[in-house]
Amino acid sequence: MAARQIFNPDGFKNIVEDGKATGFQFEFKAQYYRGFTLSILHNISVNVDGEDFAREDICISVHGETFTLDQALTVVDSDYRWEFGEYAAILVKKDGGLAPGKHHIKAVQLIVPSYMPFPTEAVCETDFVIE
Amino acid sequence: MSYDIKRSISLYSYQDEYYDGKLDLEGCLRETAKTGATGVELLAEQMIKRFPLPIEDEEFRADWFAKLDKYGLTPSCYDAFLENRIYSNRTLSLGEQINMMCRDLRLASLLGFPVLRTLVSTPMDVIEGSLEYAAKVNVKIGLEVHAPFSLNSSWADGYMEMITRTGTKHFGFIPDMGIFCKNVPDVLRDKARRQGAKEECLKIVDDAYAARVAKGFVKIKYDLDLGKANMEYRMANGMKEMMEAVEKAGGGPADMMYAGTSFTYSWSDPQDLIDNIDYIFHTHAKFYNVHEDYVETAVAIPEVVAAYKKAGYKGFLSSEYEGGEHLRDVGVDSIEQCRRHQEALRRAIEG
Repeated sequence: MAARQIFNPDGFKNIVEDGKATGFQFEFKAQYYRGFTLSILHNISVNVDGEDFAREDICISVHGETFTLDQALTVVDSDYRWEFGEYAAILVKKDGGLAPGKHHIKAVQLIVPSYMPFPTEAVCETDFVIE
Repeated sequence: MSYDIKRSISLYSYQDEYYDGKLDLEGCLRETAKTGATGVELLAEQMIKRFPLPIEDEEFRADWFAKLDKYGLTPSCYDAFLENRIYSNRTLSLGEQINMMCRDLRLASLLGFPVLRTLVSTPMDVIEGSLEYAAKVNVKIGLEVHAPFSLNSSWADGYMEMITRTGTKHFGFIPDMGIFCKNVPDVLRDKARRQGAKEECLKIVDDAYAARVAKGFVKIKYDLDLGKANMEYRMANGMKEMMEAVEKAGGGPADMMYAGTSFTYSWSDPQDLIDNIDYIFHTHAKFYNVHEDYVETAVAIPEVVAAYKKAGYKGFLSSEYEGGEHLRDVGVDSIEQCRRHQEALRRAIEG
């Protein structure tokens, strides 16, 4: 038996537009026990190698549609749920992207199901490599 | 009293294998059947993608019933989530919430479930407003009595009043067997140890739990502000004093995690089941770790099943495995846990 896998090991890469790296992306699974509408995902915070990224520079992509975190708060469409056991891609703006080599990420999912007395705050951490 | 106690598995139990892609919905049904259980409980939002659209589709439903037939399973309970704060800026209006409840009752009925589980956060007027529709589709609404809530409490009295006043046959309780924990589950203690907890601190927490069991838990009150109700309940049960003792003993984050989490388990007298049996039509047989000798770490399975027999219970005990969340750093085997739990239930029922 092995520990639970949260991040897609093949999902870490820089986002390149017109030959220029404008950010980076990664993929992880929601740390909740069922699928949910993006509207109850109240935040994803991202920290790489000690650097925090602003909420407005972070987007989430599920089933081919990309939303800012503010837009996600109003997404209730069945086609764009974060399904249980499925990866969502998180896109983060950063001029020049991440340097090739080893990095460490700490990303926190803030999921707020209506019925819970306290929100679910899932801290997700891993080492990864940018080729 | 004659009883008819049947065994079911909630597919919630297989969540770690589903998450890893080792089991899909059909795989979960296959594993359920292998244990000898005849009932299946489903969280549609867990294992049916694009919820709720596929359930509206006739072909999907034909396939669902064909699979149940293939594995010899009967639908026992549909677990709904009244997402009444689906928008972050407001709570849904009463009418919207009733519509959502009626939608879920309809979905449950389309998939053949006789019972819908609703959560303690469901406002009473939403339940009352849905009773007519529940009767129409003949699906019973069962309010989950999950720790820290309990039967025979001022919280439950409000619902009993509603049952009496309306005369409804379509609302009652679904006890979660986590309200019958004699001690804190060992899987939580072992996780705390792996995270560096001190034996002295664990003992303070375990002793405090034993004291609460001996003295009887102070019961939680009805309040739609669940955070507030929960905090009051914890304080009334000595959480502050216990946390201070743990801190004084040099408790770190792992000790604090163990101490805080110990308040998510509770002990009720199994007599509560006998007193309320007329309003109980399904049961979440919550468990945390069944050992090789078929003894569960915390839930008093023999005493609880004995109470159900004495009361003449006719319904399912539906295995709900919740130990996996404490094993994700080392690995989870829900399939083996469910096999053992079903055997433990079988022995208690047939023994």
